[in-house]
Amino acid sequence: MKIISGNEAVALAVKLARVGVVGIYPITPQTTIIEELAEMKAKGEISTDVVRVESEHSAMGVTLGAAVSGVRAFTATSSQGLLYMHEMVWWAAGSRAPIVMVVATRAVGAPWNIWNENTDFMSERDSGWIMAFASSPQEALDLTLQAFRISEDPRVFVPMMVGMDGFILSHTKTNVYIPSQEDVDTFLPPRRQPYVIDPETQESMGNIFQPVHYMKLRQSINEAIVGAKDVISEVGREYEKVNPLADYKTLNVEYKLDDAEYAVVTMGAWSLDAMEAVDRLRERGVPVGLYRVRYIRPWAEEEIERALGDKKGVIVFDRATSLGRGGPLYLEMRASLNNPVKGVIAGLGGVSMNKKDFMDAISRSLEEIRRGDIKDVTWYYPGEVKEVELGTPRSAI
Amino acid sequence: MAMRMVGMALGKNVAMVVVAGCSSVIQGIGPKNAYGYPVLNIAFAAGPAAASGMWRAFKQRNKDVTVVVWAGDGGTADIGFASLSGAAERNEDFIYLCVDNEAYMNSGGQRSGSTPHGAVTTTTPEGKKENKKELLFIMLDHNIPYAATASVGYPHDLMDKLRRAKEVKGFRYIQILTPDPYGWLFDPSKTAEVGKLAVQTCYWPLIEVVNGKVRISNESLHCLKKETRRPLKDFLSVQGRYKKLSEKDYEELEKFVDDLWERILSMIS
Ligand SMILES: Cc1ncc(C[n+]2csc(CCOP(=O)(O)OP(=O)(O)O)c2C)c(N)n1
Ligand code: SF4
Ligand SMILES: [Mg+2]
Repeated sequence: MKIISGNEAVALAVKLARVGVVGIYPITPQTTIIEELAEMKAKGEISTDVVRVESEHSAMGVTLGAAVSGVRAFTATSSQGLLYMHEMVWWAAGSRAPIVMVVATRAVGAPWNIWNENTDFMSERDSGWIMAFASSPQEALDLTLQAFRISEDPRVFVPMMVGMDGFILSHTKTNVYIPSQEDVDTFLPPRRQPYVIDPETQESMGNIFQPVHYMKLRQSINEAIVGAKDVISEVGREYEKVNPLADYKTLNVEYKLDDAEYAVVTMGAWSLDAMEAVDRLRERGVPVGLYRVRYIRPWAEEEIERALGDKKGVIVFDRATSLGRGGPLYLEMRASLNNPVKGVIAGLGGVSMNKKDFMDAISRSLEEIRRGDIKDVTWYYPGEVKEVELGTPRSAI
Repeated sequence: MAMRMVGMALGKNVAMVVVAGCSSVIQGIGPKNAYGYPVLNIAFAAGPAAASGMWRAFKQRNKDVTVVVWAGDGGTADIGFASLSGAAERNEDFIYLCVDNEAYMNSGGQRSGSTPHGAVTTTTPEGKKENKKELLFIMLDHNIPYAATASVGYPHDLMDKLRRAKEVKGFRYIQILTPDPYGWLFDPSKTAEVGKLAVQTCYWPLIEVVNGKVRISNESLHCLKKETRRPLKDFLSVQGRYKKLSEKDYEELEKFVDDLWERILSMIS
């Protein structure tokens, strides 16, 4: 155990995974991952080639180039950086290149805002990556390590990104179990990938496809992502040998759901606050439980139906938006469930939500559900919206 | 500091484009700003493109407005470079200011393409291995009507250049060396002094090229001859970021300065 931040945990995972090449570009709140990697490199603790590129577009370019040429490759970004990288994120998916990326989430401008929100991460959900979201620094480390194994599995061969809440996870130090190098080496087989660009193999990639072949490729990515559910559970069970405290047998996580009549759905760090709210509401006799989404892609349709299909009502909290339509988690849940689903958008751009705010928002939503009069999506502002202090210029945008 | 000088030199009819960087933060919290100009804050790589649209719109509306892009060295040399080069090649009618503090300061002091050889940053803890990108020469190779360098150590020189740039039509590029006490590791009260030392030791030239005609500021004339240059170490030794400089690194930096002035000499002869 070591007391470290989410970003330090991710850097350690990159070290343990013996990554060959990382393409790095600074952006708050992800920056300390790449600074840590540069520091490790300077101290000779890693043999990873650290390439300090001139933009996120190039960060993914370098990472992809290294990946298709046969080595394990990694990058990390946030917000504007992820959006600037967008084209290459898709290119990596279409190339079916096993790559791992960590996204420390942050609001998207305009206007400038460095605080936490998950819209940047969620906006990549159509791109063709496996997408998991952590709720603690421990999970950030665990998922990053698993991501290499999952994306390099021949049944998958799709890149994988791991999200974590900016500042709340990226910069907050907690106790993290650090696996041994030996256990990780056993867990992570040598690099596997669908093809290697190499004069010997004469493979090429990305050249023009006939329309039908193009469509078939897209379908194959779709099937690989859907099929990855089994691989993810299998890798999750295997991972218990790396971290005996871990539980990754299922894609998502249930909390006090068995005897619950109503369910709250969350993703990421604030799930812990929501769980406390659930505890308090239960003490007051409200039969509510919680479901934490860990995987956005693949979408755990069957797990979700099993866990939530019989509830009288499901309240989905989104820290992200699909403007004009609601929150992305809410939309996904509505597509999976036939029972009443209520959407709540909260915590955007750094607005903080504590246990009490969750209790309030859940109680109000329950009233709507019980009345049978659900107003689709509520934009929830906590009772007292605290003035958010801007950081010093140096730690800012 | 540099922002104040811009205000004094360019007068009122100015519209600013500010890309990501320290200057997007020191404005204070929106929607008002502390600069006294209308400001379009925009994504890191988009400044020159946005300015290209703005001056054209002002022209259509018959408004005499000087459009000014304010970008850091990272925004200029790295992520925004394609957009900058495109606008320069099209000879877009605005002033581009590169505020060069030789690193990504706003995000905490990482190396940029404009960080000099040997400097320690948070992503080059062992000192940068590569030389500073020669932005002035690169921009001159775009055949733009106006290009200049300045230092906050010499405010009058900077303001003169801004005023002259304002009178030129077409793409104007000014790169201002702005020592950053937190990134370069010196006492904040010495900012102007460090800005002067950079010029006196000929690390940083003060020059101006208007339609191909080169003018060297008086403060830099002594640099034309190697014998009259102040030793480079006078500039380097006052900064903490060069603490890991080896003898070889020092020679590399000296050679960088020699090459720089050789190139300037070749431009005037
Ligand atoms: C696409 C994108 N990537 C990264 C960032 C994060 N970022 C904001 S400012 C900055 C550094 C700016 O450095 P520079 O251009 O030299 O300006 P300075 O802050 O030093 O004045 C970075 C990396 C961003 N805003 N957008
Ligand atoms: S002192 Fe340095 S870090 Fe602070 S605003 Fe100026 S350039 Fe940015
Ligand atoms: Mg800078």
